[in-house]
Amino acid sequence: MERLFLIFLAAFLINNILLIKFIGLCPFFGVSSRFETSIGMSMAVIFVMTLSSVACWGAWNFLLDPLGVGDFLYIPAFILIIASLVQFVEMVIRKVSPALFKAMGIYLPLITTNCAVLAAATESVKPGFWKLSLEYNYGLGEALVYTIGIAMGFSMVIIMFAAMRERIEIAPIPRSFKGLPIAFIAAGLSSLAFLGFKGLFGI
Amino acid sequence: MDTSIIIKAVLALGGAGLVLGALLAVASKIFHVEIDPKVELIREFLPGANCGACGYPGCDGLAEAIAKGEALSSACVAGGSEIAEQIAGIMGIDIKEEKVAKKALVCCGGGKNEVAHRYIYDGELDCRMAQQIGKGPSLCSYGCLGFGSCAAACPFGAIIMGEDGLPLIDWKKCCGCGVCVEICPRGIIALVSENEEVHVLCHSHDKGKTVRSICKKGCIGCKACEKVCEFDAIHVVDNLAVINHEKCTGCKNCVEKCPTNCITVLLESPHVHPKKQVVTKTVN
Repeated sequence: MERLFLIFLAAFLINNILLIKFIGLCPFFGVSSRFETSIGMSMAVIFVMTLSSVACWGAWNFLLDPLGVGDFLYIPAFILIIASLVQFVEMVIRKVSPALFKAMGIYLPLITTNCAVLAAATESVKPGFWKLSLEYNYGLGEALVYTIGIAMGFSMVIIMFAAMRERIEIAPIPRSFKGLPIAFIAAGLSSLAFLGFKGLFGI
Repeated sequence: MDTSIIIKAVLALGGAGLVLGALLAVASKIFHVEIDPKVELIREFLPGANCGACGYPGCDGLAEAIAKGEALSSACVAGGSEIAEQIAGIMGIDIKEEKVAKKALVCCGGGKNEVAHRYIYDGELDCRMAQQIGKGPSLCSYGCLGFGSCAAACPFGAIIMGEDGLPLIDWKKCCGCGVCVEICPRGIIALVSENEEVHVLCHSHDKGKTVRSICKKGCIGCKACEKVCEFDAIHVVDNLAVINHEKCTGCKNCVEKCPTNCITVLLESPHVHPKKQVVTKTVN
């Protein structure tokens, strides 16, 4: 239990995918200009990341790893799986719940091949992907907690950032800094602040 | 080298692709949702850049809105007039009839011959850039700068720059999209209805004496129009005559009275040419 909590925290705060790993920056800046769209985007990201990580975990443990082809084939295989999964889910949602499709429909295809989703899938299958230590594999529970941590971290940061940008929009800032430039500066400062989580609980 | 790993890789990825592809094909049949065939037709004509200039979420969103009749067939800003015409064809609408409500009108009469420049502007021919340098070269700080940013921006090719340095707007081509209104750094282009007959072609809030010294066609705020109007429809606010179009009956008393001729009947306005046959060359 404690281990799961630490995994969650590591994904959520300490290795935050947006502010520490700098992965998934295009939705981070593209969709964070309005509060509502950022919430829609985060919901879609949580949904897609969780689903795709579970699918990729399955593909790794039952197909790629037993065949011994995982080490060099995991990226194309995961892209294939994530893309078809999102397509499939989109079709199902469209048929089953048009309301949900309307709320999430725009964002689903946008994150089909998003790097953040791929990174979450890769990382939950091969932890320490960024450190290149591939000896240890997560179990399904751990992988799930890890992915949800990443997705929640993504959501928290993008929603927080959207709220910040809405305030920046009306703040008196020099003209040349208006819009994206000040957003980049704000993102840099937030990233510095998140560096403070490094070493929390010794992880 | 062990060749079996190559076969394994091909089989694994190819097999997975085949299975998933088959699954998607089956799913698309099972979960098929009937959509308006117009949506797909319209979607094919739209540029597909998902630029969002129309205000809808991507080209798919706009195609759906047009098919439902919520958006105009000319709503695609990036597409320009050609695409708008094709979409109007799909919808069975004549594009010119669709929107008679609003057209662009340049509310300034101060061309090259009327207003002098206080310095020679030698930079990029762009109104917004010229406006940055000492508020523009034109002596009048409210009127048209004449560098044709509106003409360059018009997605329908409806604006050309006239010989007097003022934009000419072809109302046959104008769709009232408002791009020129946005781009004009001095905000002198307004969207007006065709049934609003009388307009004040001046935007200057300068005092009458100043206006008289720099422009032959500006509003000097003399209030002659205010006095002659029987319907209380025209008032001088902050040294500029403003017409309340809800009260205006188009009697044209003020047009005759105006000493500087800055109040004009729409169809005789120098900047609109549905009547005048102006050479319609395209502006690059």
